[in-house]
Formats: sequence, C-alpha cells, structure tokens
Amino acid sequence: MTSGPVGVASPESRVDGAARLPKKPGPTPFTIVTTLGAVVMTVVTARAVGFSFEGLIENLTRPNSVVEGLLNPDFSQIWSERSRAAFIETLQLAVLGTVAGASVALPLALWSTRVGNPNTFLRSIVRIFNNIVRAIPDLLWALIFVSAVGIGALSGLLALFFFSLAVTTKLTSDVLDGIDPGPVEAANASGAGLTQMLRTAVVPQILPSYSSFVLYNFELNLRSSAVIGLVGAGGIGERIEFFRSRGEWEEMWGLVVMFFLVVMIIEAFSVTLRRRLV
Amino acid sequence: MIRFSNASVTYPGGVQAMRDLDLTIEPGEFVVIVGLSGAGKSTLIRAVNGLVPLTSGQLQVNERDVTTLNRSGMRDLRSEVGMIFQGFNLVDRTTVLKNVLMGRLHEAPTWRTLLGLYSKADVHLAAQALDRVEIIDKAYVRASNLSGGQRQRVGIARALAQEPSIILADEPVASLDPPTSHVVMRYLQQIGRELGITVIVNLHFLDLATAYADRIIGLRDGALVFDGPGSECDADVFESIYGRSLTADDTMAKQAAL
Ligand SMILES: Nc1ncnc2c1ncn2[C@@H]1O[C@H](COP(=O)(O)OP(=O)(O)O)[C@@H](O)[C@H]1O
Ligand SMILES: [Mg+2]
Repeated sequence: MTSGPVGVASPESRVDGAARLPKKPGPTPFTIVTTLGAVVMTVVTARAVGFSFEGLIENLTRPNSVVEGLLNPDFSQIWSERSRAAFIETLQLAVLGTVAGASVALPLALWSTRVGNPNTFLRSIVRIFNNIVRAIPDLLWALIFVSAVGIGALSGLLALFFFSLAVTTKLTSDVLDGIDPGPVEAANASGAGLTQMLRTAVVPQILPSYSSFVLYNFELNLRSSAVIGLVGAGGIGERIEFFRSRGEWEEMWGLVVMFFLVVMIIEAFSVTLRRRLV
Repeated sequence: MIRFSNASVTYPGGVQAMRDLDLTIEPGEFVVIVGLSGAGKSTLIRAVNGLVPLTSGQLQVNERDVTTLNRSGMRDLRSEVGMIFQGFNLVDRTTVLKNVLMGRLHEAPTWRTLLGLYSKADVHLAAQALDRVEIIDKAYVRASNLSGGQRQRVGIARALAQEPSIILADEPVASLDPPTSHVVMRYLQQIGRELGITVIVNLHFLDLATAYADRIIGLRDGALVFDGPGSECDADVFESIYGRSLTADDTMAKQAAL
C-alpha cells in the first residue's frame, strides 16, 4: 500500500489557509442569566446571614477554648470502654443500615420502572413513596425516630435504613433506564414470570453498578452515623455530643480526629473495591 | 398447528401490519417468510406467541385460542414456543449456560430462580441444547466473549432448552456474515427435521430463503401474496412479492460480493 500516514496527502494550501474555525459562538442568554443569578443569590444570602470575613477571622483568632482543644486533642479516649463501644456501635449501624436499606432498595427501584412494574397505578405509588423517602434528609429521619422510638441505636438504625433506601433506590433507578431490553424480551417470550424475568434478565445487567452504589452508600452511612448520634440516635456522635455539652474540648476533638481517621481508612478500601466493580 | 383465520393487526399509530390473513402451518413444517422491510414479517411471527395481539380475527396455536388467553395461559403458550432474535438478546454479563437456562424459567418455581438455583434436570436439558448446536465447551464462558455466530447458536440453544414444539426466528442471520449465516440456517433446518419442531423464519435474502425453506410465504403490505414450496419461488415470484425488480441487495451472495 502507500507509504506515509493517511491524511497528509491534502495540498499545502488547504492545511495553511482553509483550516479556519468558524466564529466562536458567544455565551447564550441562558448562560448569562444563570451566572448572574448565581452571583446575585450568593451576595444576597451572604448578607442575609450576616457573613463577613473580618468577623470570621476575629472569631477564630480570639482566645477560644474550643479552638485550643483542637490544637491539643486528647486521644486517651481510645482506652475508654464507653468510647470504644460507641465506635463499634457506629460501624454496626453503618453496616446494618446499609445492608437493610440496600436490600429493600433493589426491588423498590425495579418496581418503579415500566419494565419491572407494568401496572401504571402501582408504579406511580412506588414512585411517590420513593420520592417522599428521598425528600427527607438523614438528620431529620434521626429526629423522627428519636422522638418516636426514643434515644438509642435502634433510632439510628431506622434512620440509616431509610436514608440508604433513598440513596440506593435513586441511583439504581437511574441505571435501570439504560439497560439492554433484549434479554427482557427473550425472558418474556419464553414464558418466564415477571420476578423471574427481573432476576435473570435485569439484575445481572445492573449488579456491578448496584454493588458499587451499596458501597458508596456505606461510606455515606459511616459519616451520617456520626451526625445522627448528635441528636441521640446512638453511636460515636452521641459520645462526641456528650463531651461537647460538658465543654471537654480536648476529649471531643480527640474523638473527632479518631473518627475522621477511621472513616478515611474505610473509605480508601471502599473506593478501591468500587473501582474494580465498574 | 398454527392457524390464522381472517386475522388482522393494526398498530396504535394506525399502520395495518396484517390484513385478513388466512394461513395454516402444520407441525414440523419449515416455513420462511419473505417480504420487504415493513411488510409485516415481524408482526406475523410475534403474533404467534402473543407478543403482538390481533386486532381482529382468530389465531389458534397448539389448540389454544391466542386471542382469549389470560396471563398464565399466555405464559404456558410461550413456554411451548421458542424465539430467536436478530440481536441474539443474550445477557452479556452472564455465562452461556445461565443464558440457556433462561429457557427453563417457565418450569422453575420463582423462589428457586430468585436464589439462582436450577434443578439437575434443567441443567441437563440446557447442556443437551448446547450440545446440539455444538457449543457446549463454552458453557462457562461469558456471553460477551463469543463471536456473533456463536452467540446466535446460544440463542438457538436457549430456545431449544424450552423443549418447544414451535421455534420462531425473526431475521436470525441479519447481523451475521454469509458463511456464519449458513451455519445458523443449517442448525435451524436440522432442528426442524430431527426434532420435528415447526420452524418459522423471517429472512431478508431470497437466496437463503429458497435454499432452506420447505415452504415460502410472501408478504406485501401486511397481506399474504405468495404461499408455495421453495422450489416454485423464482425471480418472477419474488419480483411480484417485492413489487419491484430485484437488486443485488436482495440476495446474500450478491450483496456480499459488493
Ligand atoms: N410497535 C409498533 N407500533 C406501531 N407501528 C409498528 C410497530 N411495529 C411495527 N409497526 C409498523 O408495522 C409495519 C410492519 O412492521 P413489521 O412487522 O416490523 O415489518 P417487517 O418485519 O416485515 O419489517 C411497519 O410499517 C411498521 O412501521
Ligand atoms: Mg422485522
């Protein structure tokens, strides 16, 4: 065949003169309006909450026992029976909440799609339920259950269950839209039942993404489990709140830093695992 | 036996894809349906297993009245009718064997399917089906790692695993090259002859149609315009079915030469 790379054959003149780009389009009215809107919103809200840089710097640099505690965190809490139990409870909450929530999320995601739920009425019921669950943030779930069930780990578990349900259902529903409909058609044409079809034709297609979402959800839950503890839903957050309320800043920061390390290590594992999945 | 009586299909958009069809297909026949794109070939095939409902007329398949079946009756009918697709419709991520076991779902209780358990008998049938299309050595290979021809053989095995009395194939070789197309057509022919299964195949190329069909059915605009043995089907007949003179695109051999 011919020597030399393909595409160099065109005459010099074309390469020099004709390769001119058309005039670059300017920003669209949409871009201008949304950018302006974002700037105005930021300025207006910052003024509304009374934000000022001088104030922030002054507050942080003024002698302050909270900031001093951060500079001298006390890690001796690692020897405390109660703090260790709280750590373990946090991990248990995160694992159990994720497993329970994600297990229920899979059928709920499937039943919210046309393929998984041909009945229009039932499908809209599932969708409305999913939307309501998604609209409630983790801290609010915790408050709801602490008021309804009482202070303790059970409230935390219930809060994380619903939070996981919301997150994993949403993420899984989104990948369900993009599946290959071919195997679904094949299963239906073979006389399979709806559940059998979903299990054999749909679930294998979304399993890698779903597993990755479950791990991601676990990472979120680990952090959430600390926050919901602040309102009394068990785990390490409850212990942090205990020291905060007594003004024992060294101990509080010690716990926060240790929790931070634990989260970082577990997340590193989870992220590596997720990379291998997809 | 399959019997269409005065059967019509009109799609929601208003297209009439089947017009007053009267057609009887006896057990064990190897029938090829030809016609231009849009003539209603897929509609006819998909009516047989109820994927497309008739808008009027009657359709009997294996003594069942397809137009009046309830949900479980429809599933029973579909379990007796295997289907093969142009795009293979395999689950790429799973193994060949699991894909073929899909053909056994009708016989399996739902809880077993949910747990991913298959009975020994079902696995045995799946293995037999894979053996018939000579691809049993790939049983534990992921479907995505197969060539097009191998994938279609898995598609055939999945249909065979149903132990069907009828096999429907909607343009089963349209995504394959000519040599592979002949391999797939020969397996279908063998299955019909050796197992006594009724085979209905939609084909685009008329040289393939005449090479394999016992009986050719010509459709034009949803209406039956030819019904006769493959030997009677010459260029003139095809021109009358297509309503135009033949081109190189109409035969696989000539199109491959282009
Ligand atoms: N689901 C559908 N909805 C509306 N029109 C359809 C549908 N499926 C097929 N048609 C129309 O019906 C006619 C016959 O289609 P089809 O049976 O797929 O023909 P063929 O398989 O011979 O190409 C075509 O005009 C097609 O556009
Ligand atoms: Mg078609």
